[in-house]
Amino acid sequence: MQLFSSLVIPICLLAAQILASDYHEQLVLKPLPQSALLASFNFRSNTSLAQFENHNFRYFPRSLGQILQYAGTRELHLRFSLGRWDAASWGARPWDGTKEGGTGVELWAWLEAETDEEADHKWLTLTNALSGLFCASLNFIDGTRTIRPVMSFRPEGDHLNITMANMHLLHGVLPREVVCTENLTPFLKLLPCKGKAGISSLLDGHKLFDASWQSMAIDIRPVCPAGEECILEIQQTIDMVLDIERSKRPRGNPIPRPVPGHELKCNSSKPYHDEHTCYPIGFVAGQEWSLQQIFGKSMHGTCPLTDPNIAPVCIQAPHSRDVFTSAGVKELKDPNFPQRCYIIPENEDFQIVLPSMQHVGENAKSDTDEYLEPDTPLLYAERSFTGHGQERGGVQTILTNPSPDQEVEFVYMESLPWFMRIYLHTLQARVLSGESGHLRKDEDVVEEIYYRPFLDRQRGTQLELRMRIPPQSTVFLTYDFEKTILRYTEYPPDANRGFDVAAAVITILHADQTKSTRAFSNLRTSGLLLNLPTPDFSMPYNVIIFTSTAIALAFGGLYNILVRRFVGQDEGPEVTLMVLRRKIVAVLSKVAGKLKRANRKEKAEGKTE
Amino acid sequence: MSTAVENGGTADLTSRKTASLINETADSSLPAAAATGPKEPPPEKPADTRRRTWVIFSFWAIVLALGLPIWWKTTSIYRAELPLSEMLDWADGKACRPAFPLRIALDASPLQEHEAQNLLRLTQHALDDLNDFSGHHLRLQLAANADPTKTAKTGSDVALTIRITPGDSIHSASSSLHPHLPILDVAYPPNSIPTQTSSSSGLATYLAAQLRSTFAEEQNVISYLLETSSIPSEHRPKGISPEVAETLSKQMTRSMKYSRTYHLTFSLFTNGPEPSSWDIESAIDEYMRPMLDMLSPIHNFTIDTQVQLYATPGVQSQVLSKEDLSSFINAAEWPLSPSIGGAPTVNFVVYIGNQTIGAVSESEAADISRSWLIPQWGSVYLLLPPSGPHVSSETLKQTVLTFTSHLLSLLGTPQSGSLPMRLSTLNRMRSADLLLRASSSLGSLARLSLALPSISIPSSVADGVAKSMQHLQMACSTLGGSDSLEHARIAEAEAERAFFEKSMVGQLYFPDEHKVAVYLPLLGPVGVPLVMGLLNELKAWRKRRRQKDGPA
Repeated sequence: MQLFSSLVIPICLLAAQILASDYHEQLVLKPLPQSALLASFNFRSNTSLAQFENHNFRYFPRSLGQILQYAGTRELHLRFSLGRWDAASWGARPWDGTKEGGTGVELWAWLEAETDEEADHKWLTLTNALSGLFCASLNFIDGTRTIRPVMSFRPEGDHLNITMANMHLLHGVLPREVVCTENLTPFLKLLPCKGKAGISSLLDGHKLFDASWQSMAIDIRPVCPAGEECILEIQQTIDMVLDIERSKRPRGNPIPRPVPGHELKCNSSKPYHDEHTCYPIGFVAGQEWSLQQIFGKSMHGTCPLTDPNIAPVCIQAPHSRDVFTSAGVKELKDPNFPQRCYIIPENEDFQIVLPSMQHVGENAKSDTDEYLEPDTPLLYAERSFTGHGQERGGVQTILTNPSPDQEVEFVYMESLPWFMRIYLHTLQARVLSGESGHLRKDEDVVEEIYYRPFLDRQRGTQLELRMRIPPQSTVFLTYDFEKTILRYTEYPPDANRGFDVAAAVITILHADQTKSTRAFSNLRTSGLLLNLPTPDFSMPYNVIIFTSTAIALAFGGLYNILVRRFVGQDEGPEVTLMVLRRKIVAVLSKVAGKLKRANRKEKAEGKTE
Repeated sequence: MSTAVENGGTADLTSRKTASLINETADSSLPAAAATGPKEPPPEKPADTRRRTWVIFSFWAIVLALGLPIWWKTTSIYRAELPLSEMLDWADGKACRPAFPLRIALDASPLQEHEAQNLLRLTQHALDDLNDFSGHHLRLQLAANADPTKTAKTGSDVALTIRITPGDSIHSASSSLHPHLPILDVAYPPNSIPTQTSSSSGLATYLAAQLRSTFAEEQNVISYLLETSSIPSEHRPKGISPEVAETLSKQMTRSMKYSRTYHLTFSLFTNGPEPSSWDIESAIDEYMRPMLDMLSPIHNFTIDTQVQLYATPGVQSQVLSKEDLSSFINAAEWPLSPSIGGAPTVNFVVYIGNQTIGAVSESEAADISRSWLIPQWGSVYLLLPPSGPHVSSETLKQTVLTFTSHLLSLLGTPQSGSLPMRLSTLNRMRSADLLLRASSSLGSLARLSLALPSISIPSSVADGVAKSMQHLQMACSTLGGSDSLEHARIAEAEAERAFFEKSMVGQLYFPDEHKVAVYLPLLGPVGVPLVMGLLNELKAWRKRRRQKDGPA
């Protein structure tokens, strides 16, 4: 629970500030074990609802605001993600996983509409408009990729009870979308400081999309503080895990080159270790980096729109870690929590340097001085395909509750494409308990199932399971499905690569329900790549030629038998080929005769001479 | 032997056994033939010949009666019936001659009834003498109501009311346009009222000349529109002078495409972090709203505003030259995307920075060189950085007023005359423009469907065309009236929708190679025996007839 308090305290502190200032931004750097660094950028601006409805936009971006108004959107969440969060070594996710999406693009929104059809229509408008704004293929979120989650998502904003009745939640995923620079540029354009000043000046497509894991999030929700005017809040978040060694590569020479032999760090404990054989150690030295090195540029002052008393940059590392900053920067150490924040003078470049720490010698430092011990997540989840052949498939999800004494309750949601025909009767949950050590089939694990079956080419499967896992147990959730053979035109380009299946969304419901209902945390499995039986795409022409040949053979034979008359060989007309052969033979014999005669003449002449 | 060729074709299917059997029978029956040359097959039974003919006939019957219709049905493209000749008539201007009968009320209350009638008659004569363009003519009538202000408000059909009053001057008449109502006030010298008998009058000539000059711009614009449209020359009115045409074409290219609704976007761009707020709402309410309210019968407007900091213009130089102005807007970085909702967006950009426009010539006033208009897009105003982080409504006064005048010119409002006159002229100009546009779209659609016989025409296109023509008819008959603009607008929208129907272009290109690849594998092996069989049968049939005819 340390993780939880660590995140909740700053959030609560910030919550008080939300209303005071119209714009807020903060960067939190957190060194992770080995050579990883988590950088969390958070930008938040807001507008009063009255100004929003009058189309007067100040810090709230106009382009997005107009889309929201046009599509009747009350709350919007948009995610662009890439890579995989390595929960085993990095621990719990930033923001409790609420600010990340599955690989690709994920969008969910609450739309105000009288009927389901109207909501679908508005959803179409919304996806098309967002697609243009963010240069992403969001317009491909059609009926087959849209679901209406029942248990998984809850509105995060404050909505009136009257509007709540007419709000429709729609959720769509594009697992195949590759997130790249063209999505970052419009994202930065939405910020008031445009990436020209403040922490946003550190963002650069080259570094962001080179990260081991990254997630860009946009959350828009109405917030109604008690007794005050309602505001519409937009939060833009970028979280990324940088590989420090990788990001330190110089910009001009980005191609990784082999380390020269004498610089190689070898594991000398291996029996075969000598000067010619080396088992390289991946990571020995401590972390050593500066802001300039990992982001490729330094930070240009602060964004002047923020409250100058709020620190724009914080670093979460043990207080014993050496951190150097450029001159004029005020350091604020949090006595209760290993976090340091820096207040930066306006218009001055800011630099932060973490030198390498001695791991041997007199003042040796250990890993605990270098970075915080990662928090254990509430749940580990991994998902993979089972099954065999071109027809039978299966999915297995392994969910582990690492906690020694607390059970965990969550909703597991899958949005599957229609061409994965799942068999719900094969759904099984087997529990491997830590203490008993044996696998047993347990129906109690799954408490509630919401299932909406697929319709061919119209909608996908929606599966939501509410589950409860006892402490120190692992649940194997499996089900089988059948692979569909698609129509010729339904295969995407490069069909042999496979079809991406969206990540499963896990919403952990906290046991402590006395807190606000919004206290969720999320988790997403990685996406899957489904191989469907793929035809040879010259198939139509082959089929045409094959069937035509068969028809022609049958038809030709039948027709000739019916129409032709059979006569003796010597009675029929001469076959063209025979005529030709006779002619050739005649010509040849003629030539041969001439040659013979000429020979005889020569011989006769020779004799006379 | 020759019969064998016709009936048997190539005899490569002959089996040895049957051949020997036939040989034996042939040998016994025709010993003489065997000795002289190749053996003749025995004569065929007539029943066999008849059966063969039936076989060939029935194969062909199936192909023609079943195969062809199925092929035709499955590969034909749906083409809805379009009234092509009528559409082309519209495009050529044969269906409608745009004519604007403008009614002008003469309010001659100080005069006697017969004097007024007389003045009216003479002025109308003078007008008819002056006018050379039949499409646009002014018709005078006596004002029915005594109070001209009321008439102007209620009677929408009257384009202008002339109110004549006895003037102070003895020798010459003077006139002035009312600033808020379509009224021309004319003060006449007391002695200039024409008598019953006189055939000409100074006042009448003066009135005619005044009217002519008031409506000169409108006439020019309409004749310019007709001239640039696709209507052939014989239907066109007399040409306008090249200089006038040039200024008009400048005006026309500057103005936006007509739409019922426009989105107005006011953006404040600053080159640094300040200022970040402005009183644009109150400034618009105060300085622009009255004008927008006057335009409301013709256009609706939605307004949104935004503030954008750290904006770098497309041109960095301190003093902007005339060439720099076109690239000043940094389209790649500035979020000036058009508003969603279909209607066009007019952008008004206030840029706060220290750049100035280099005066093109010395004579230009200082305030002109702060702003410029970007044709069909909007307008830019360079504002000097204010002292604080806030831009007050007072600072924005000049800006908003400039934007207002730019908006009028972007909407294509004529330059001269009082505001109500300009707006009613705008109404008529836009009707004529839309009418011509819709007609030319219909013409293009008709030519397209004639030029591309393989293009599919869904029924929605036919519906659109019918609707468009119906509204064109209504617009044409009420030209100059208040409804014509609405009809012309619907007609134009329907014509555009029909022309840009998405499903028409889907199957536009279907390459011949593809057709060959699909048809040849089947038609080659099946078609050749069928055709050869038919040819042989025909040849045999002719031969048989000749043989029959020969002995007879």
